[in-house]
Amino acid sequence: MAKNNVAPKRRAATKASADRRTSPRPAPRARAKAGAVDKITLDIVENALRNARHEMDTVLFRSAMSPVIREQHDGFPMIATPDGRMVVGQFGSYIAGFIKDWPRGIHEGDVFLMSDPYKCKGAISHINDWMVLLPIFYNRQLVGWGSQFGHTIDIGGPVSGSLPTDATTIYGEGTRIPPVKLFAKGQLNEDVLDLILNNSRMPTMNYFDLMAIVAACRTAEKRVVEICERFGTAVYLDACEALLDRTHRAMSALIQRNLPEKKVSFEDYVDDDGRGNGPYKMKLTMWRVADHAHFDWTGTDPQAPGPINFFLNEEMFKMFIGVYLIMVFDPQILFNDGFYPLLHITMPDGSLVQPRFPAALGCRTHALTRLFDVLGGALGHGAPEFSTAAGYGTSPYLLFNGTQENGEFFHLMEISFGGIPGRPFGDGMDAHSWWPLFENIPSEYLESYYPITIEEYGSLMDSGGAGFFRGGNGVHKVYRFEADGEIAIHDDRERSHPWGILSGLPGQSSTKLLVRATGEQVSLPSKISQVKVKKGDRLIYRTAGGGGWKDPLDRPADKVQKDVLGKLVSAEKARSDYGVVLDAKTCAVDESATAALRDKMRAARGAQGTFTFGPVPEAIGVMKSV
Amino acid sequence: MSYRLGVDVGGTFTDFLLYNEKTGALRLTKTPSTPSDQSVGVLTGIHKIATQAGIDPNEIALILHGTTVATNAVLEGKGAKVGLLTTKGFEQTLHVARGQTPGPLAGWIIMQKPDPLAPLALTRGLSARMSARGEVMAPLDEREVRAFITELHGHGIEALTVSLLNAFASGAHEKRVKAIAMEMYPDLPVTVSTDILPEFREYERTLTTVMNSYVRPKMRVYLNGMQQKLKDARLKGTMHIVRSDGGVMSLAAAAESPVNTLLSGPSGGAVASAYVGELTGFKNVLSFDMGGTSTDVAISFGGAPNIQRDTRVGYYPVKAPSVDVRTVGAGGGSIAHVPLTGALRVGPQSCGAEPGPACYGAGGTEPSVTDASVVLGYLPPRLLGGEMPLKADLAMAAVQKVADALGLPLKQAAEGIYDIVNENMFGALRLVSVQKGYDPRQFALVALGGAGPLHANALSILSGSWPSIIPTTPGVLSALGFLHSDIRNEFSRTVIRTMDQMDRKAVKEDLEALGKEATTWLASETIAAGNRRIRYQMDLRYHRQGYEFPIDVELGWLDKADGFDRVVERFKDVHQQNYGFNIEHLIEVVNLRAVAVGIVPKVELEKKKRTTPAKPRPSERHTVYYRGKTVDAPIYDRYALQAGDRISGAAVITQNDSTTLILPGHVGVVDDYLNILIWPASDPRARGKSTATGTSRTKASARRASGRK
Repeated sequence: MAKNNVAPKRRAATKASADRRTSPRPAPRARAKAGAVDKITLDIVENALRNARHEMDTVLFRSAMSPVIREQHDGFPMIATPDGRMVVGQFGSYIAGFIKDWPRGIHEGDVFLMSDPYKCKGAISHINDWMVLLPIFYNRQLVGWGSQFGHTIDIGGPVSGSLPTDATTIYGEGTRIPPVKLFAKGQLNEDVLDLILNNSRMPTMNYFDLMAIVAACRTAEKRVVEICERFGTAVYLDACEALLDRTHRAMSALIQRNLPEKKVSFEDYVDDDGRGNGPYKMKLTMWRVADHAHFDWTGTDPQAPGPINFFLNEEMFKMFIGVYLIMVFDPQILFNDGFYPLLHITMPDGSLVQPRFPAALGCRTHALTRLFDVLGGALGHGAPEFSTAAGYGTSPYLLFNGTQENGEFFHLMEISFGGIPGRPFGDGMDAHSWWPLFENIPSEYLESYYPITIEEYGSLMDSGGAGFFRGGNGVHKVYRFEADGEIAIHDDRERSHPWGILSGLPGQSSTKLLVRATGEQVSLPSKISQVKVKKGDRLIYRTAGGGGWKDPLDRPADKVQKDVLGKLVSAEKARSDYGVVLDAKTCAVDESATAALRDKMRAARGAQGTFTFGPVPEAIGVMKSV
Repeated sequence: MSYRLGVDVGGTFTDFLLYNEKTGALRLTKTPSTPSDQSVGVLTGIHKIATQAGIDPNEIALILHGTTVATNAVLEGKGAKVGLLTTKGFEQTLHVARGQTPGPLAGWIIMQKPDPLAPLALTRGLSARMSARGEVMAPLDEREVRAFITELHGHGIEALTVSLLNAFASGAHEKRVKAIAMEMYPDLPVTVSTDILPEFREYERTLTTVMNSYVRPKMRVYLNGMQQKLKDARLKGTMHIVRSDGGVMSLAAAAESPVNTLLSGPSGGAVASAYVGELTGFKNVLSFDMGGTSTDVAISFGGAPNIQRDTRVGYYPVKAPSVDVRTVGAGGGSIAHVPLTGALRVGPQSCGAEPGPACYGAGGTEPSVTDASVVLGYLPPRLLGGEMPLKADLAMAAVQKVADALGLPLKQAAEGIYDIVNENMFGALRLVSVQKGYDPRQFALVALGGAGPLHANALSILSGSWPSIIPTTPGVLSALGFLHSDIRNEFSRTVIRTMDQMDRKAVKEDLEALGKEATTWLASETIAAGNRRIRYQMDLRYHRQGYEFPIDVELGWLDKADGFDRVVERFKDVHQQNYGFNIEHLIEVVNLRAVAVGIVPKVELEKKKRTTPAKPRPSERHTVYYRGKTVDAPIYDRYALQAGDRISGAAVITQNDSTTLILPGHVGVVDDYLNILIWPASDPRARGKSTATGTSRTKASARRASGRK
C-alpha cells in the first residue's frame, strides 16, 4: 500500500520487434465470400483464435494488480480483422472508426490507448475503462488487431475511484484519454504515460494494469502471427472472412426461426440517476422483416442529468442480441461481427442510451444491465418457457478510501453480486454474478489488505422471488470499517423489483444501512458517494434478489423444506409464497395442510399474466414532468 | 524380496506392472476392476501376476497403488455426510463460492451448480473470531462448540470439518475445536483447515478441507479393508498410495488426507512420461494420455512433472498439490457433428464405453474419432491381439452423416474429424506450455493411452515437439509411473508480508521449522535418513498481485546479505517468462513451504540387444488416406521390432494395447528400450541411428535446447 501514491519506476515492457520505418499496406477489402480456405482449416483457425482469446484473459487476470481486474475479472479481449471487425471477443469494435479518424499513421510497433467513450462511439462506456488497440503486422502487412480493455481503479477527478454518483458532465468524472500512441514504433511514450498517471490516485496499480492489458494484446499479436506463419496470410484473412460469414448465415436462420414479424415491446426501469431524478424507463420494440431484425429504443426516457447514461455502442448491442440467440444452437461458435448487417438498431438521440456530449456516464452499469432485462423480456414474449426472470439488475459496487493511522492511503473497489433469476434449468444461484467469470474478493483478502473487517458475508434469506425455480437470494454483507474514510455506493433495484415470469414472483429490492459506532442508523440511497465513515462504523450492504420462474405453488415441498433448513428461505415465506406448511420444531412437511393451503391460494388468486412486476417506482425530480 | 509392483485401478481394468529390481525386467497383467470394492481386484491381480512370473507374492517388497476411491466418491456424489463448523456470518462460504457463473455472456442460464459437499443444514457458525493478523477478536466459546458438535452428531454426520476465517494466520481456535471434538467423539474423523491447507482464501481452503472430510470415511474403510486383505493373504510387502502430485504416501497418511489422492491415477501417467523422456534422453517432455472420452496433458522438466497447487475435480476447485494435468473432452469416442453454423465439431460429447464407436458394432451409430480412423485406414480392420474386430462398413456409414452435412467426400470428412480432434488436444498442450511461457518446440512428446500413439505423429507436427515417443506399453503407462514415485508431502504456512519488512534470518528459521516437520514426517514414513530430501520454497508475487509463484530457494542463500536478492532474481525470471514483464515494485512473500521427499530407488529398465541384423518386415500390406491421397502403409507387429529398427512412414504398427501411426515423410526409430521415436524424415536427429548405440542419443540430447533455465 505504501508505494501506491508514489510514481513508479519503470522497466518498460518494450517489444523486441525492430522499429521499422514502414507504413501499413492498406487493409485488404472485405470479400463477400471466402476463397482460399478449406472447411477444416477454417475450423482449425477458429479454434486457434478461440485459444488466443482465452489466453489473453489468462495473461491479463494473472498479471494485473487491481483486484477489480485480477480477482473480479473486469476486462475484455478482442481480435479483429485488418479493417476492424471483431472475429473473436466480447465487446463492440471501434477499430473501423478509429482507422478512419486517426490522423497520424499506424505503424508496426504502435500501441494505442484511449478511455473517452465519446471518442470511440461508446465501445467503452465510462472513462475508467482503459482500452488498448494494437495493430498486428506480419511480413510488414497489417493482418489484424488485438484489443483489450480493463477497469482501472482510479483516474482522478473529485472522487476516489472516479465514479462520482452526482456528476453532471463527463468533465466532472476524471481524466479522459483521447486516442494516443502509448508505444510509437515500439518505443514507450513516457511523457504521455507520466501525464496520465500523474492524474491518478493509484499510479502504480494503473501502470501495472495497463502493462497487463498491453501484454494481453501482445499475446493476441503472437498468436495471429503464428497462424499466419502456419497457413499463410491469405488463408488466415480468408478464414476470418469465412468465420464472419458463418455467423451471418447462422443468425439469418435464427432470426427467422425465433423473432416475431409482429412488433413486441418490453419496458423496465432504472430507479434513479443519483441526483434525485427517476425512474428512467428503457423501452425496446422488436420485429423482423424476412431475415432482418429491428430493435428500436424509441420510448426510452431522455438522458439523465446524473451519470447513469449508457452511451450504447451499436456493435456491442448487436453482439448482445446475437449471444442470446445463438448460445443454445452452437455454444462453441466463435462469436463475431459477421451478422451485424442483419440487425437494425434505432436509438433516439438524447435518450438514456444515446446521450449527447458531455453527459456524465460514470455509473452506466445500471442501464447496461437493465438492457439485458429488457432484451430478455422482449425475446421472452414469444417463448416464455425458454426465458428467464429478471435478476439483481446491476453491478453493485462499494468503494472505500482513506488514510490509515500510519499515513498510508488506501482505496478499495469491490464489485458485488446478487440474485440470479429463476431459469428453465433450475433455481437462480444465490449471491452470484450475472456477468460471466467475475469472482468475489475473498474476505481474507479484504481483511489482509484493507482496514476493514467483514462481519458477515452470504446471501439474504427470502430475498429471491418465489417460483417453481426460485430466484436467487441477493448478497448480504456486513462491513466494519477499521479506519476513518469515505465510502461510495453504486446499486439499483432499490425502488423497482426484478420481475418474475409465468407466475413466478418478483425478487426483493436492495437496501444499504449505515450503523454508526454511536448506534445511530442511517439508511443510504442506492447511489451515493463521499459518505464519511468513522472507525467502528458498520455498513449492512444488501443487493436485490432474482425473480422466480413459474408457479411457486408447484415447487416440490421437499425442495422448499431444504431451503428452509439451509436458512435460504424462512418458514414464514415457505407458507406465504409457496403454500408449504412445515412443523415449527422438526421442519417436517405437513402434507395435507400444504395441499389444502395451496388449493386455497390457487383459488384466491386471479388469472396470471406472463410477467409479474413489482410496483412501478414513483416519479421524482425532473421525471415528474416527463 | 526384489520385486516392485505398480497397480493402477481404472474404470474397466486394473493394470499390474511388476518390476524385477535385479534384472530390470517388466511384466504386465490386467484384471477386471471391482468398483464396489477395488481391493478385491487388486488382490486377485497380485496373485495373478505372481503366478505368471513364477514368484512367491511375498517377494514383492513394495506395492504402489494408484486409487480412484476418492475421485469416484466426489464425481459420483457418494461421499460422507459432512458437518462443518465455520465462523459465524460465513455459514454460506461454500454455497456462495466465488459467486462465479461460466462464460460466455448468458452462460448462467445453463449453469449447473452442485450443492456444497457440507450441506447448509449441517453447517454451524462459531462466535470465535481471529483477525487476518492472527489476533483473537472474539475468544472461543467452548460451551457453544460442544453444543454444536453434539447437535451435528445427533444429525448423523460421518465426518466433521473445522474451517474458521483467518485460520491461515492462527490455527489456535481450530486446534482447540479439534481437540474438543476428538474428546467428545473419538471415532468421528475430524479435519481442520490448518492441517490440510494453511493458506489464505477462505472458500478454497474450506472447500479443500471439506473435500477431505467428504472422501475420508470411504477411504478409511477402503484402506482398512485393503490392509486386512493383505494381512489375510500373509503378504509382507509394504503398500503405498499414489498422491496427486506423483509422490506416494503410507496407507495411514492416505487415510488422514485422502484429498491428496484425487488425481492419483493421472499423476502416474505424467510421472511415467517424464521417466520415459529421461530414459530416451529427452528430459523435457509434453505428454498426452488419450483415452475414450478425454485426454489428459502434462508437462515435465528434467525428468519430473510440473506440480501446481490447484486443480479442478468436477465443479470443485481443489487446492492440493497436484501434477499439472489438464483435461480436454477429446478422445477416441468423441462424437463429430455439424451444428446449424455448418462448422465441424468434435466432442465434447462421447459415445462412451456403451455403445462405443460405430465400428465396434455394439449399436453405436454416431461418428466417433475412432470411426474416422477406421475410415482413413489408420486403424486396420484386423488388429493384432485385438479382441474386437472393427467393422469398417459401420464406421463409414456413421462418418458419411458428417460428410453429407459438410458436403465433403467421405475420406475428407474423416480426415477433418482426425484433424479437429488433434487441434483440440493441441489446445490443451498449449495450456501447459505456451500459456506458461514454454516453447513446445523445445520438448519431446510422449504418447499415452490406447489412442495416443495413433495421434502422436500428427500432434507433434502441430506442436513442433520432436520426437514423438511411443513407449512400449502406452496403455499401461500410469503403473510404470507409480514404480518411479518418491514418498512426498508438503508443509507450508502463510505469511503475507512484503520482503522489505522481513528478516532474512527469521525467514530461514521459519523454513527450518517447516523442514523439521517434514523430516519428522519422513521418519514416521520410515524413510532412512540417507534417503530424505527437503526442498524449500517461497511463494512470491508483486505486492497486491493475486497469484503467486513458488520459487525454489536454498537455505544457504539466506545466510548471506544478498540472500533475498537471489530469491527475487529467480522470481523475476519466472514472472518474465509467464507474463512478459517486470517492474520495480515491492515483492511480497505469501507462503513458506518445505517439500519432503523420501527417495525410492529408481527403476532401471533392461536394454534390449539386437538378435538378428535383419530389417523389420511388415506383416501385411495396407493403405491409408492422408492429405487427399491414398498411400501405402504396411502393417508391422510391434513385438517383432528390435532395437535400432527404422520404419519409414506411412506405416501402421500394431500391439495389444495400442496402434501407432507413422505419417508419410516421417520415420520411426526403435531405441534400446524398444520405445519408438518418430521424427520428420529430414530431421538430422533421425539419422545415424540405424544401429542400436547410445551415443547418437546423447548427441541428440546435447543438441536439444533446454526448455527451462
